[in-house]
Amino acid sequence: MKIMTEEILLKYKPQKNNLLQILHEIQTEQPHQYLPETELRKVSKYLNISMSSVYGVVSYYTMFSIKPRGKFIVRLCQSPVCDMLGSQLIANKLKELLQIDFNETTSDGLFTLEFSECLGLCANKPSMMINKQAYTGLNVDVIELIINDLRNESKNSDN
Amino acid sequence: MSERITITIDGKQINTFKGANLLRVAKDNGIPIPSLCYHKKLSPTGACRLCLVKIAGTNGLTASCTVQVKEGIDVIAFDDELEILRKNLLDYLVSEYSEENDNSYHDEFWELLKRYQIDDKLNRKYSSVKHLFKTQLDDSSPVLTYDSSKCIKCFRCIKACEEVQGKSVLSFTDRGISSYIIGGFGVWNESECDGCGECIQLCPTGALVEKPHRNEIDINKIDAKIKTTCPYCGVGCQIELWVQNGKIVRSIGVENVMPNDGRLCVKGRFGYDFIQSKDRLINPLIKKNGKFEEASWDEALDLIAFKFNEVIEKYGNESLAGYSSAKCTNEDNYIFQKFIRTVFGNNNIDYCTRLCHASTVTAMLRSIGDGAGSNSIEDFETTDCLLVTGNNIIETHPITATYVKRGVAKGMQVIIIDPKWTPLVKYAKLWLQPRLGTDVALLNGMIRYIIHNELIDKNFISNKIDRGWDAFEELKSLTDKYTADYTEEITGVPQEKIIEAARIYATSPTSMIATGMGMSQQVTGTNNVFSLINMMLICGQIGKERAGIDPPRGQNNVQGATDVGASPINYPGYIPIGNDENRRKVAGIWGVPFESLSAKPGLTTVEIAKAAYDGKIKALYIMGENPMVTDPNLNHVKNAFEKLDFVVVQDIFQTETTAYADVILPAASFAEKNGTFVNSDRRVLRVRKVVDSPGLARQDWQIIQEMAQRMGKPMKAFRDESEIFDEIAAVTPMMAGVRYNRIENEGIQWPCPGENHPGTSTLFLEKFNTPNGKAKLNPVDYIAQNEKVNIDYPFLLNSGRILYQYHSATMSRKNNSLNAFANESYVLMNPADAYKNNFQNGIKVKLVSERGELQTILQISDEVLEGELFMPWHFSESPVNNLTRDELDPLSKIAPLKLSACRVERVMF
Repeated sequence: MKIMTEEILLKYKPQKNNLLQILHEIQTEQPHQYLPETELRKVSKYLNISMSSVYGVVSYYTMFSIKPRGKFIVRLCQSPVCDMLGSQLIANKLKELLQIDFNETTSDGLFTLEFSECLGLCANKPSMMINKQAYTGLNVDVIELIINDLRNESKNSDN
Repeated sequence: MSERITITIDGKQINTFKGANLLRVAKDNGIPIPSLCYHKKLSPTGACRLCLVKIAGTNGLTASCTVQVKEGIDVIAFDDELEILRKNLLDYLVSEYSEENDNSYHDEFWELLKRYQIDDKLNRKYSSVKHLFKTQLDDSSPVLTYDSSKCIKCFRCIKACEEVQGKSVLSFTDRGISSYIIGGFGVWNESECDGCGECIQLCPTGALVEKPHRNEIDINKIDAKIKTTCPYCGVGCQIELWVQNGKIVRSIGVENVMPNDGRLCVKGRFGYDFIQSKDRLINPLIKKNGKFEEASWDEALDLIAFKFNEVIEKYGNESLAGYSSAKCTNEDNYIFQKFIRTVFGNNNIDYCTRLCHASTVTAMLRSIGDGAGSNSIEDFETTDCLLVTGNNIIETHPITATYVKRGVAKGMQVIIIDPKWTPLVKYAKLWLQPRLGTDVALLNGMIRYIIHNELIDKNFISNKIDRGWDAFEELKSLTDKYTADYTEEITGVPQEKIIEAARIYATSPTSMIATGMGMSQQVTGTNNVFSLINMMLICGQIGKERAGIDPPRGQNNVQGATDVGASPINYPGYIPIGNDENRRKVAGIWGVPFESLSAKPGLTTVEIAKAAYDGKIKALYIMGENPMVTDPNLNHVKNAFEKLDFVVVQDIFQTETTAYADVILPAASFAEKNGTFVNSDRRVLRVRKVVDSPGLARQDWQIIQEMAQRMGKPMKAFRDESEIFDEIAAVTPMMAGVRYNRIENEGIQWPCPGENHPGTSTLFLEKFNTPNGKAKLNPVDYIAQNEKVNIDYPFLLNSGRILYQYHSATMSRKNNSLNAFANESYVLMNPADAYKNNFQNGIKVKLVSERGELQTILQISDEVLEGELFMPWHFSESPVNNLTRDELDPLSKIAPLKLSACRVERVMF
């Protein structure tokens, strides 16, 4: 059972410095890992800050989304180091595998492709994260395995 | 400010104050350092970098807008290096910027491009990159358009909204070069924006522009920009109206003068279209066989003179009455009251102040000797505690509220007493929500706590209160039964809140009170305010700066109309009519025989309607009032008006009231008049003619003079309004020193007894305006309301106003911009009541009281308590006053518009 926004809010004092924490919790609890406008309105009202300042924060941080996202959020590092070592190839492979562009979600609701600022995993680049799992030393073959694994895992867990 | 210092800019010695803003000092001294993100009303941002200067002893370049000056600093504001750098910065900026300009706004950015000779693209180093990123256009607001392609991200709009207006509606979204300004979640008209337009006024480019008249306005073809006073609420904002081709096309706030220092609300900025509405009255109209027909002025005025004289002859002097107008100038009202007193020969003159702050004024006159606000508008920002009671100040006095919100940002504590939620609650330390009509009990409970906990001001009681400790003991014994338990039981307010409110009010170094219609419009209205004043006096929260009691006035000239004698009991300047000596003095100035002035108190607003119903009043002269919406128990008023022999209504529009007229006279609007208004903090403010009146419409005072002439009782002829004002000054001691030439730039606050007197910002600093100079306590007990809920009428209905409409809406509803925000009547009902009755949001309902009924739309809202309802009363198709009572407060004759028992029925389709 997911936690309602109202319950999340009550855990925090109505002070605007709690905004980021609240937004993270709400997004995590949403089935599609995003921040619907209805929930943002509640946050704005509870913290007594304008809707635009909530929205400004949400749109600033790439970790937040205002669009429904897939079960697996693939975040490919776009730092210069990863770029030099072929992240563009990875990006193309991901698009080909999933048949979507970046900032889009597959029609089965499984995958969302996003770019990320530097993930700090430069020691073994190129890198990406899928949800909370980091993947490093990527190449196009590995990518295919990872994506297929996740597809299968999802199928099995559905059965 | 602090100590004086000397600084040097480009070799020029400049005297200024320590800590002043360097850029501002430079600009004030004619050193034109360029800047875009800086505005003197805002905190410095340092974003545009154009104001970079060199300061001796400091490495590198410094943005001068971020520097607070110190003694002896030596600044280079202009040299080749700085100028080249500035030109480069501008060149960069313009590469991201759209140069399309429709001449509908003032573009500071374009002026700088010209100054640095890069308005011509050929002179620029950098090519445009505008096409590389997405731009945003938000055209959803009814009053403004945001275009990010013109936005240089200077923060001025965001800060205007937050720091100047205290609203904080706007913010940035996205990152870097593609960031832009948003309201709400990116759709302006779904945000909290209330359309005040402060952001437009402070936008240096055309990123934020006004929508109304944008297609026609050309700032190079403006014929005149004329300063005048806003015609809406009693704040008295100074506006500048722009005229193009004989038409008003823009209103902006006048900077640097009180009371508003450039700030406006949505009505002040976008509410001027009524002036040039096609519905304006342009001809005198005479009712013939039940239909109005156009007539000449001669025909109309001769008919009126004949009819008025006929009524006098047949029924005597006492059978006529007049309603004057809080919307008209002092000069109009002065002439009107003189007309009633010298031509009708009675004192039957009143206006809707009777239904507004009559009880407040009555209580204040009796307790402290003046009925006007004791403080200045700027004190609403600087006092330590503000108690706001029965006053939805953000909606009814939006610019006064900006001071309050700015004060809260600096630590002021706001306590609200209101049965209904108001937007100010968001800024308040405490909100006490008493049941309707229980104010005296609540205040007595607070008084008891203050007394029992020794939070009183003993010095004040000894020295400033009439009969000192004896009077105090009377108050103490009367309030003794209002224990915390008892008070909670009556009012429903938790006792901790009552105690905290009393403690904050009593112990703050300075506390001010803003009291509104919620307190005054009750059968116990005068008692409510007595109670409030009692608390104020024992705490000593008056008689010093930033402390006192202020009733923000509802209409533009409610204060002034009473000041100049539109009253059944007072001559101009609150001089009682009953006193022979007063009458002799006034008769002398007016050049009429002393005996001809009646000493008999006249009838008040509601009494006039009742007397008409009883056949005692036969003829009525109404100037700029709409009693068919504003008066209580409208069904009774209708019956009364139908019995009148002869009714003259002088107005700028057909109204619900003109339907009952025999003759309608077309009058000039505020924008076609010279004259003065007096605002809520007693400022006498100039009103100036901006455009010509439409058709045959005439000045109110000239119509009255002409009428007197034709009735065979000519009044002194005046050539212009300033001559009238000179006579007002002669009759009205508190305005004796005010002259037009003294208030050309900024208003003067009365009392101003002499021509060298600067006016008075705070009343009662030395003594109270009572015979012995002391204030009076008037202990009062809580009296339960006669009007109670019962099985037939289970709800108590409260009524009030909203931001976007004004009074009976004759003016405000003629503006599409305002109607786009709110143009529909509704009633608020608590969710629990809605649930019990199985009512859904948005259904059509009928409200029924013993007096009448109406239909409106139900809105479910927790803004009201269970068992209570709230309706805005602006909308004449759902006339709240069909439901209200004409029972009167015995002391002030105000009607209880805030409390009517009624029931709610679903309307079946």
